Amino acid sequence: MALTAHLYRRLMRRTRVIWLVLLASVPGLIIAIAGIDIEPDQLPEAFVGIMLSVGFTYAIAALILTVSTLRDERDAGTLPYIYMRPIPRISLAISALLAGILAAATIALGGWLSTVVAGLLHGADLSLLVPGAALLLAAAVGYGAIFVPVGYLFSRSVLVGLGYLVLVELALSGLVSGLAQLSIWRIAGSIYVGLVDTPGLDVDAVLGAVAPGVGGGLVKLSAALVLGTAVLTWALRRRDAL
Amino acid sequence: MTNTVEVTGLSKWFGPKVAVSEVTIGFGPGVTGLLGPNGAGKTTLMRVIAGLQVPSQGTIAVLGKDPRDDPSVYESMTLVPEDEAVYEHLTGRQFVELAARLARLDDPKGRAQEVLETVELTDAADRALGGYSKGMRQRAKVAAALVPEPEVLLLDEPLNGADPVQRAQLIRLFKELGAAGRTVIVSSHVLREVERMADRVIAMVDGRLAAVGSVATIRAAMTDKPRQLFVDCSDPRALASELIGTPNVIGVHVNGARLMVEAADAREVALRLPAMAVGRAVSVTRIEPADESLESVFRYLVEGR
Repeated sequence: MALTAHLYRRLMRRTRVIWLVLLASVPGLIIAIAGIDIEPDQLPEAFVGIMLSVGFTYAIAALILTVSTLRDERDAGTLPYIYMRPIPRISLAISALLAGILAAATIALGGWLSTVVAGLLHGADLSLLVPGAALLLAAAVGYGAIFVPVGYLFSRSVLVGLGYLVLVELALSGLVSGLAQLSIWRIAGSIYVGLVDTPGLDVDAVLGAVAPGVGGGLVKLSAALVLGTAVLTWALRRRDAL
Repeated sequence: MTNTVEVTGLSKWFGPKVAVSEVTIGFGPGVTGLLGPNGAGKTTLMRVIAGLQVPSQGTIAVLGKDPRDDPSVYESMTLVPEDEAVYEHLTGRQFVELAARLARLDDPKGRAQEVLETVELTDAADRALGGYSKGMRQRAKVAAALVPEPEVLLLDEPLNGADPVQRAQLIRLFKELGAAGRTVIVSSHVLREVERMADRVIAMVDGRLAAVGSVATIRAAMTDKPRQLFVDCSDPRALASELIGTPNVIGVHVNGARLMVEAADAREVALRLPAMAVGRAVSVTRIEPADESLESVFRYLVEGR
């Protein structure tokens, strides 16, 4: 826990947090502006659509934050202070993943609060509060599982992560059905859609080949976590730490 | 004496650059100085021993364990890295306490206070590390490294940035640790520093071991080699004819207004030169060693192997 707390505190530098919460708040801003022209009864549907499309800015915020979990330590030359400890490498990996996921979830909470406030201003009810929070929490877990190891392995990790977000999540996952299953945003979206009742929503447009449903989404996120832990443990054991 | 650290056939390369080449060496209790010019491979060797870098070839055993496979070895081995890097937002005390917490000690606060006293940093312990001088940072890093009472302590240029008083304190501390049976490996590119604290010296050049032994052995190896002096004077030929046949002088070369003297003991020749110049009415404007840098001295050692 000491290591997770240390890495979390290091990630949550004030300036960085402010900028990333602003980035994660873009959906709230859009809802605040677009909500003026939306009838209250259409608001839930519009809300879902905006969250799943514009909410992608949260993915970028999560990327910037989670790749920094161990990359900050490597770049600053402080990694030996945490690496050279009598801690099994799998525990080190889990602590780092946990810190990255917690930090991403904190940013998500900030962004989500602004979105909820914007929705409430236009007369939305609180029925989307939990599904929206679940979407962002699921995304925090998924992106943490991918980007914490990426941050450790690559010096240009933000570029590598952006490559994944743009190529896999934005471009290819909509064209190639198999790749949709590798999209964290679509997997998180499948949990969200599984929790809300929006019959008018074009699910195929937002999820592609990913089937909506909480259970399936959780299984895929668990698989991402296991894979992320395995890759990071391997890297900590077998790759240069400096 | 049993070795606590065994390095066998170790090589480490980064792409085409070979940083450490086929090093086999053991380290036991006491202070060992790892000496060599910048770029000799000292830091890479330290990092590989510490488990921070993976050997490209060869093996490392610290207390019989490979740090890469068995992190429990970090209960007994710590490193003071060469980089100035510390957590600038933490105070000295928080930094050392963090080390104690990560080392899973029962009383991190108490242990932190003990080691801060050992390195004489208690007065500044509650100030942020970002405001520390380079020497104070070094002492904070040493304090953090002492937290788990390590059997093996790796110190990469630990005296960098320390003032003379701090240097004396740290050297005394390292000698005490060595005398207490700990394995202390200290890297430096300054022979005089190593001489003050190390019982045994390992000289490295270009990633290879150049010499191993006591400081006296290394010094003798250095002085066994012919050395060169440059002499700028008004009449080089006259001075050259005086120098030829002088004991210690192996050769003399005239190049314009400059003489290059090759001598077994360059210092002794330099001391005798003024009297010779006066005898020949030659005006000497400059005497300088052609190869006194540590790099060239180490190169002699490598070439002589």
